[in-house]
Amino acid sequence: MAGTNISQPKMALVVHADMGVLSGFQGALTQNGFVTIVARDVPTTLLAMTQHYFDLAIVSSHLAEPGDGWPIAGVLHLAFPKCFVAVLAPETSVLTLQAAINNGVREIYHQSTPAAEVVAAILAELGPSAGKHSKKLQ
Amino acid sequence: MPSKPSILIVDDEVNVARTLKMVFEHEGYEATTAFSSAEAIELLSNSHRFDVVMTDLNMEKEDIGLEVARKAMDLVPRPVVVICTGFASTLNARAALKINIDYLATKPADLKELTNALNRLVMLRRASKEGA
Repeated sequence: MAGTNISQPKMALVVHADMGVLSGFQGALTQNGFVTIVARDVPTTLLAMTQHYFDLAIVSSHLAEPGDGWPIAGVLHLAFPKCFVAVLAPETSVLTLQAAINNGVREIYHQSTPAAEVVAAILAELGPSAGKHSKKLQ
Repeated sequence: MPSKPSILIVDDEVNVARTLKMVFEHEGYEATTAFSSAEAIELLSNSHRFDVVMTDLNMEKEDIGLEVARKAMDLVPRPVVVICTGFASTLNARAALKINIDYLATKPADLKELTNALNRLVMLRRASKEGA
């Protein structure tokens, strides 16, 4: 509607098989003003995608098996073209970078990087509007 | 009926560029070739509009195709930007990721996979324009 300013909290989705990792990211993202949804598998991820609009998604490249996180990242990019999709991967090889580009992933991080560091790096990429408690405007 | 999609193919290996031109014309594209980054950048600077810009990386000098990709990424409306290279490295692939290009293919490219990917990206771009 013209003139309506819809103000909503920024939404983040974290997809990882490890509950400890999910918890770490949830804490780091919540601290930075994101409402965070976590998913451990593909069905939960797809369900979350039908229920929310995501501004940021962090996906492990390895869910049930190596590499199965890439298509999830690709589908997130297709469903939410403005979403910053990041992937946690075990290595930064040419093939990993190629998978990232071809799935619309904006950045890859080593899987062992602490959640707080990944979130800080993503916020730096997103710029000042992504700061603590900032609001999504449209 | 939607118009033919247009593609700029940039490769200093004339035979590669011509082969890709034939492949994409067969796919229904209107294909233009440029045999250097300078020629491509001149075309892109002179108001030529393409739905897809596909560039090699190593031409006049190493990784100069990244400049073609950057130039294409700055255009409005932005074309689908593809790098097709036989010399992918973590350095140039990371640079391509940073530019946020749409697709990275390595030579020898699987032509079916490449044409499928480009057709999909063009359709998505057109669908998003129609929905805008």
